[in-house]
Amino acid sequence: MGDSEYAYGTSLSVDSMKVIAESVGVASLADEAAKELADDVTYRLKTILQDAVKFMHHSRRQKLSIADIDYTLKAKNNECQYGFVQPDFVPFRFASGGGRELHFIEEKEIDLSEILYAPPPKIPLDVSVRAHWLSVDGVQPTVPENPPPLSKEVQKLESVDPITKLSKPTNKDAAGKPMCGKAARLKASESVHVKQLATHELSVEQQLYYKEITEACVGSDEGRRAEALQSLACDPGLHEMLPRMCTFISEGVKVNVVQNNLALLIYLMRMVKALLDNQSLYLEKYLHELIPSVSTCIVSRQLCLRPEMDNHWALRDFAARLMAQICKTFNTSTNNLQTRVTRLFAKALQCPSQTNNETGNGPSMASMKESEKTPLASLYGAVQGLAELGPEVVKVFILPRVRWLGERVEGALSGLGGADRLAAGNLKHQLLKVLAPVVRQLRQPPDLPEDYKRDYGYLGPSLQQAVSKVRASPSGGGSGGAVAVVTCTPPLVPSAPSPSIISHTAKPVETVTSRNVVIASPAPQSPAPSTPPPQKFVIVTSQQKPPQAQPSSSTGHIVVHSSQPTVVRSQNVQSVVVTSGPSGGAGGAGAAPPPQKVVVVGMQQPTSSSNQVSQAPVSVVTKPVFARGGCGGPPPPPELDDLSHLA
Amino acid sequence: MGEKSAPFLAVLQLLRKYNLKGTEEILKKEASLSDVECDNLDLPEVELANILTAHHTESDPYSYECAYESLKKFVETSLDIYKYELSTLLYPVFVHMYLMLILHDHNEHAFNFMEKFRSEQEDYCQDDLKKLSIVKNKNQIKGNELADIYSSNKFTVQLSRDASSQLKRYLQEQKSSTVIINIINKHIQLEVHDGPGRTQAQVRATTGGVLGEATRNENRAKVYYGLLKEPDIHVLPLPVEDEEEVEETPDKSKKKKAKKDNIFIKKPKSDPNAPPNDRIPLPELKETDKLEKGKALREASKRIQLGPESLPSICFYTLLNSGNTAICADICDDSTLLAVGFSYSVIKVWTLTPVKLRGMKSAEKLQDIDREAGDVLVRMMEEKDRDTSRSLYGHSGPVYKVAFDPFKTLLLSCSEDSSIRLWSLQCWTCVVVYRGHVWPVWDVRWSPHGHYFASGGHDRTARLWATDHHQPLRIFVGHLSDVDCIQFHPNSNYIASGSSDRTIRVWDCLTGAQVRIMTGHKTTVFVVSFSVCGRWLASGGSGGEVLVWDVATGLPATLLPPSHTAPVHALAFSRDGTILASGSIDCNVKLWDFTAITDEATGEEVASNNAAKEDKFLLRSYPTKNSPIKCLHFTRRNLLLAVGTYEGSS
Repeated sequence: MGDSEYAYGTSLSVDSMKVIAESVGVASLADEAAKELADDVTYRLKTILQDAVKFMHHSRRQKLSIADIDYTLKAKNNECQYGFVQPDFVPFRFASGGGRELHFIEEKEIDLSEILYAPPPKIPLDVSVRAHWLSVDGVQPTVPENPPPLSKEVQKLESVDPITKLSKPTNKDAAGKPMCGKAARLKASESVHVKQLATHELSVEQQLYYKEITEACVGSDEGRRAEALQSLACDPGLHEMLPRMCTFISEGVKVNVVQNNLALLIYLMRMVKALLDNQSLYLEKYLHELIPSVSTCIVSRQLCLRPEMDNHWALRDFAARLMAQICKTFNTSTNNLQTRVTRLFAKALQCPSQTNNETGNGPSMASMKESEKTPLASLYGAVQGLAELGPEVVKVFILPRVRWLGERVEGALSGLGGADRLAAGNLKHQLLKVLAPVVRQLRQPPDLPEDYKRDYGYLGPSLQQAVSKVRASPSGGGSGGAVAVVTCTPPLVPSAPSPSIISHTAKPVETVTSRNVVIASPAPQSPAPSTPPPQKFVIVTSQQKPPQAQPSSSTGHIVVHSSQPTVVRSQNVQSVVVTSGPSGGAGGAGAAPPPQKVVVVGMQQPTSSSNQVSQAPVSVVTKPVFARGGCGGPPPPPELDDLSHLA
Repeated sequence: MGEKSAPFLAVLQLLRKYNLKGTEEILKKEASLSDVECDNLDLPEVELANILTAHHTESDPYSYECAYESLKKFVETSLDIYKYELSTLLYPVFVHMYLMLILHDHNEHAFNFMEKFRSEQEDYCQDDLKKLSIVKNKNQIKGNELADIYSSNKFTVQLSRDASSQLKRYLQEQKSSTVIINIINKHIQLEVHDGPGRTQAQVRATTGGVLGEATRNENRAKVYYGLLKEPDIHVLPLPVEDEEEVEETPDKSKKKKAKKDNIFIKKPKSDPNAPPNDRIPLPELKETDKLEKGKALREASKRIQLGPESLPSICFYTLLNSGNTAICADICDDSTLLAVGFSYSVIKVWTLTPVKLRGMKSAEKLQDIDREAGDVLVRMMEEKDRDTSRSLYGHSGPVYKVAFDPFKTLLLSCSEDSSIRLWSLQCWTCVVVYRGHVWPVWDVRWSPHGHYFASGGHDRTARLWATDHHQPLRIFVGHLSDVDCIQFHPNSNYIASGSSDRTIRVWDCLTGAQVRIMTGHKTTVFVVSFSVCGRWLASGGSGGEVLVWDVATGLPATLLPPSHTAPVHALAFSRDGTILASGSIDCNVKLWDFTAITDEATGEEVASNNAAKEDKFLLRSYPTKNSPIKCLHFTRRNLLLAVGTYEGSS
């Protein structure tokens, strides 16, 4: 056995020989014989492998394939192995037990009839030739067919250790810009070596591109915007422009949050999304600009001019999802990104709950007063932001505050301010949505309303219903995503003090969540399968009409673009999702020229007209935002009538 | 008895020499040797020593280790001017000691010996040692490729005169080193050269062959590396060309004509290094070929002058959906056709221009055509346009190389099924199957003048063929391992072949003799390419290194700084010979300043540091998107075409 420990540690063991001998009917192989055999077989295998490498090289590959071995056997006048075909790699499984180790190939039993009756597999695509410019007069153009000039790994390395970039400036020269004769000569003659700094000049083309892209992204032409976002999401070689792009976004957010320009904020967030989606970019260096911008869009107390009408909730949801994506992508043990973001959101919920527990000492009372002022919209954003970070976060940071949040919701709902009531409704709905799956995991049935009331305060009963609903539909509970949202809406209706308002306020959220589905995975498209009986969602496809100003009629936040109210059965129908195109918003950001519309229509006519618009709090900028005076902001945004492009 | 008695006889002779009669008698009796045998004892001294030492060492495996250690010490303590040359001796001695240990059944010792010293060997020997170390007993030596090579050939070591006398003195002084003396006598050929000992870099530049360095004598023969005088084909078609040109671009024609005249003035100067035009018989040019040549010349007059400051554009043809099945590719001389060989035995030809691929008319229709008609060649083709690609079926194994003939009418392919096939690009069928190679054929190339082609394969031979003979005209034997690549000299008189034995050999087509052997590659040579002027040879190895050789001397001109990380499978010279492009399966195309390379090689060999060299020679590197390069080709106007296969985004 000592022989099996050779330095190129690849000898067949005596044991293997014995096992193989047994398998072919030689009951007891003498040790000596097995050893001889093992040595000989090892030698032969190795020579075959050595020759197979030649075949591999001549096939211009770097991976040995089974065919190579077959050809080697053929060249050595041995019979090939037949039927041993593995397209990619041989999945050896490993098992050990009783001091023995075993490598084997897992072979599944195949049912022949299954194969016979199965539809024939797709015919592989034919080989085709495609040409592109790898270099034009010595310069490699940055087109998608070429690799990004600076690979993601290098960008990552540079962001961690900027010195690497400085230490090899010549490389950059060779890869990126052409060194025309004059420059080369200059460089050669230059005897004094100035410390190389990272270069930030953009070429004329790049400046032009930057101008075009930024204009298109915030312009009014949706088609152009889609193209621009597509370019941001796919084009390699944008890394040189990244600093500017990120500054553009961050400045844009600062300005527009002050001006409450919801549309532009949305456009900017879509830019962030596109940059995040670009495979060839590594954004870590620019997070210090992006994260405040994104978090502003999540928790800012006011994002739009008419909080009671505009769907700024969608923006908060979208930004929260972006934040979650950023955390997932860039979180490392050194930057502790997720922890810091979590703390940021948790802070919005934290102070009051502590004070609540401490039952009112002097100073804490003061702080309570302070925190009471945290607007509901910000609370909503914080909840959403935390919820996107996963159920564990929900459990630790939201659940303990449910009682206090419930009080806030209760207070607002019973209050007079229309905007506040709307916000409270949204917040409540959102809380139920994120909490139900978590509570379901935590608590054992039976779910008694009294227990819930005791544990969770005001929201208890609603939560109980939501939980039992989740329990009833296992699939919905499992996924916990958008589908669950649809299912957990109905219990709201009876439990809420004023059902009409609740149903109203709940609706925008639903539009958002139905978009959620679209973004996360295009497959589970319609909420129809899991629609609970008391509620009816009708999906109406309609041709896009020219964007019209939001009718600020008595039905405030209800937008009807579809001229088909006949579809809607009144009375028990609560909302209608109007969307154009049966495929939902799957290609929303793509290039569908008439942008798709997702509008929720609440058909509850007898609304207690909640239009007593309490004056929205004067634009006070939340923490991450630094309002800059005198920034010549863009002209007032177009009427926001369409959020579907968020998808 | 005969064999066994040899040591006895030797001992007897020794006893007799020292006049030890008593012992001699006893030995005779005990070994029962007849007087007849004993009377004619006249073994030469050397052999006597040989037998005795062999006998001695056989019984003592430990002496090997001591002897090797002592040789190592000798090399290390010798003066620097000898050290590096002498150190090349260590590897062959080590290998043969290992083999002898195994031959004498000291398997355990052999194993320990290998483990102890293998790491000290040069890095480029490690692959061979890995291969050798699988030999673990006597029976395996016979039949092992590498062991056979070592035991049946002599390893060449070049030493300066002083170094060799140092070695001799050492060997005489050391009593224990009989093992080494034996090995040196039997298996190593010491080449003594006059002149000072070489430096480490110099030694390293030329070592690397399986059997050591090339000896100078082997590279003595004269090689006519100059270009042939071009036959005056352009005189005839030129007026026609000019007319056409005038029609096309009347405003520019003047300028071009001036340029063209320049080309003519340069050419006809007779090159002292050029072979006579009739040294090997070249085919007469047909009318169509002349037309093609004329076209080529016209194109050439339009080409861009390349240099480090005007780099070529690269057009990259990506093969999509090929999934590892596309092996090789070639682009025809006028850059209109692309052929790709696949691992599933098919060859596909694509047209790269809007002109579709046409077939020939059927036999009945062909009969109707008037053969005297001027446009018979056009008439015999089918009228309607066909596909943009065509498949050629016939091989029964992976197609390792496809090659267009210079006149775009024929295609050669070689395959694992050990055949070479000639395809017609007019009928789109196989015309001839050339059988001759025994094992897979790795490479096949046309002569630049057509008619001849060369192939090399796993059977360690390179062969020269003519299209009208079904058997090879020449078989070039000498490589110790697979002939992996082959290339014609631009004057068609020579063939260069690269091999897994890490040498490049140049063969004379006329005599069949090996006229150059070039050592210095440290890995298998996968591609060789002659420069446009014919004097230089570039080669790429499996380690990603690219070397440039001087055909005149057979010595490496430059070792380009290592930059590829995977085997180099494609090399191309720009048409004006100023740029060398290399493509590798590490998905990079690199451009080298060939003018600078040759300038340095011909001028003073200034020892410049490596970093500066890299800056100087490597002009630019273009990564592709996960597409290993299969083929590189400069068009007549110096646009670089590259072919690669997209291997997915993983």
